[in-house]
This record gives sequence, structure tokens and C-alpha cells, in this order.
Amino acid sequence: MQRPTYGQSPPLHHPVPQHVSTVPQLRSPPPLRSQSQLHGYDGASYHQQHQQQQQQGSAPGNIFGQYGNMMNDPGAQLASQFGQTAFKHGQEYLEQNVSRFVNVSALKHYFNVTNFYVINKLFLVLFPWRHKPWSRKQAVGPNGQESWYLPPRDDINSPDMYIPVMSVVTYIFLQTVIAGLDGKFQPELFGYIATTALFVVIVEILGLKLGTYLLSISNQSQLLDLVAYSGYKFVGVIVTISISEIANVGKGTGGWVGWTVFIYTFLANSLFLMRSLKYVLLPENNNDSRVPMQTMQTGETRAKRNQRTQFLFFYSYIVQLLFMWILSRP
Amino acid sequence: MYLFGNLIYISCLIINAVAILSEDRFLARISASPTSYDPAFGSNADASVRAKIVNLIASVRTLMRIPLIVINTLIIVYELVLG
Repeated sequence: MQRPTYGQSPPLHHPVPQHVSTVPQLRSPPPLRSQSQLHGYDGASYHQQHQQQQQQGSAPGNIFGQYGNMMNDPGAQLASQFGQTAFKHGQEYLEQNVSRFVNVSALKHYFNVTNFYVINKLFLVLFPWRHKPWSRKQAVGPNGQESWYLPPRDDINSPDMYIPVMSVVTYIFLQTVIAGLDGKFQPELFGYIATTALFVVIVEILGLKLGTYLLSISNQSQLLDLVAYSGYKFVGVIVTISISEIANVGKGTGGWVGWTVFIYTFLANSLFLMRSLKYVLLPENNNDSRVPMQTMQTGETRAKRNQRTQFLFFYSYIVQLLFMWILSRP
Repeated sequence: MYLFGNLIYISCLIINAVAILSEDRFLARISASPTSYDPAFGSNADASVRAKIVNLIASVRTLMRIPLIVINTLIIVYELVLG
């Protein structure tokens, strides 16, 4: 066996592109070389040119000699330099403009997940009745003033965007596969299903925003949190569709199995949303104990709290029922 | 799907309806206009639900008058040209 010994693994030498390679890879590596020389070739292409020439000097054979003749050509050198600077400019342009529209660092927080988190979160979406603490953990800043939420890596209750994105893509593919099994596939189906899913999410977020405005809920969590929470229902929809597709031979969320699974996933999703959004939509209860009299002026009466609870219930159950039913149709 | 295009039509028609409502003949009778003084209309935030709705209707009317002209023209042209 040629396995390396376990224990401490050497630091992995991925070729990390610090900058664009000066060498355009016009030739594939020679097929009969051993593994180490191939690695040497790959690692060489990302280094400086003089380093690469050193590696060329160390590597035997005439095959690299042809390569070296090409790099001595000043025209090719100019072209590669031009390509390198053009690529750098393109990268900077992209970074400047994309970061204006999309908050990349905020997005990164949502994709900071681990396998453990993903599996447990999926289990939580499908079976939330046993889970105890639903509040998100906060990390306190150095001066004790600012506190931000922990990323999904450290906190099972934190919403992430990985599961919603993956489940939306899986949902689209699943619907098209099922349509294909029925013989009803057409390439526009991808667009139809994608726009349906997008429209469901957008309408739901708009309704939620309207509700928070009308009930004057000061929303401290970001928009992406709400999008993430709205995306969790796709997990239940996928389970419903796949189980009912296996149980009934054709498509239907009709029949006993389909409706049972649908009702179960709908209830699980609604409970998950109610528990999670309680901290987003309803005001914190610990504020009332400190300033009991002034909260009346800000309108935090029992009627308003009832209204908000009713709104949360309405949103978690009835709105989700409507949208999950829309998504489960063939 | 068909649902999405229909939804655009529905929302456009509803916003048209909100924009068309007569200020003095209808909204004042229902006391849904900011001129007929809704008592809790002091602060813009933390007001009652009714005050929020009044505010929302008024702002939709002032903001969406001109874009609605554009959107309606587009939809009319689309319907005429493409059936």
C-alpha cells in the first residue's frame, strides 16, 4: 500500500493563486510523468517566472524545454503580462461594483456552516418539538457595548443561507425530474419553477415587511435573516414531494400519504418558524421589568402584544400553509 | 407561471385603485385621510394600526401617481401589441 502514514499531515500545498500565473497553460502536462513531477508542474505555474525557470532547470526532459522556448519569446511575455494586468483590473472592477450591490461580508456570515450544523438544522426543521433553547447566542464585543450574533458555525439557532439556497436548487431539480418522469418535461420548466419559487419568497417577505410596518415592530435583524427563514420551508416541500412521489406512482400530493406528509412538514415548519421568529417579531420581555412605566408610552400594551402574537401566528401557520401548498403542486 | 404574470396585473390594478380614490369625497368620509385628523397621528412610528394604514395610503398616493402612469402605459402597449 502506498498510503502515507497517518498522524500529522503535512501542510497542504494547494497552488494558491496569489496573482495570475505568468505562464499561460497552453500545453497539458505530459501524461507519462510520475505524480511528483506533475505536482511540481502545477505548483510551478503559479509562481514567479524565475522560480518557474528554476523548476524547469530541475525537472528533467526535453518536454519542458519546448515550454521554455516559448517563454523566451518576448511577444509571448508581453501578452502574458497584458493578460495579467487585464485580469487584475477586471477583478478590482468586479469587487468594487459587486460590493456596492451585494453585501458580501454579510453573506459570508450566512455561509459559515459546518456539517454538524447542517445535519442538526435539517433535523430541527423537520422535528422541532424537542428543541429547548431557541434564542440566538450573542458574542459581546471588547468594550461590552456592541454585540453581534454568532455565526451558524457556533450556534444551532442561527439562520443560514446555505440550507435555503441548496434546498431551492434541489426543489427546482426535483420538480423538473418528476415532470420528466411524467413525460412533461420542457426546458422552460426550469424558468417557470425558478420564478415560482422566487415569487413565493418575494411575496412572503413583502407581506412580512408590511406586517412589521403596520404593527410597528422594530425589526433589528437583517433582511437576509427573513429570507433565510423563508427558505426553510423548501426543505419540508422537498420531503413532501419526494415521499408522495414514491408512494403514489404518479404525481400527487393527493392520497393519504401525500397529505399526511404535507401536513406533518407544514406543522413542523410552522412551529420552527414560530419559535425562531418569536425573537425577531415580538419585543423582548426583559425590557419591561426595567422600565415598566415608560413602555406604556411607547405603546407596548397588552393589546399590541396580542396583535403581534396573532400576526406571528397568522404568518407562521396560514401564510406558510398557502405557500407550501403552492410549492407542492406539480 | 401563469400565476406570476397574473400577480403583476393584480398588484397594478390594486395600486391603481388606491391612487384613484377621491380624497374629499371618499377618504374623508371614511376618515382615512390625513387631513381628517386621526387622533393618534402624532408620531410617525409607534402609532396605532389605523394611523399606519392612513399614512400608508397617503404615501402610496403621493409616490406612485407618476410611476403608475408609466406602468399603465407599458401594460396597455403590451396588451395591444401582443394580445
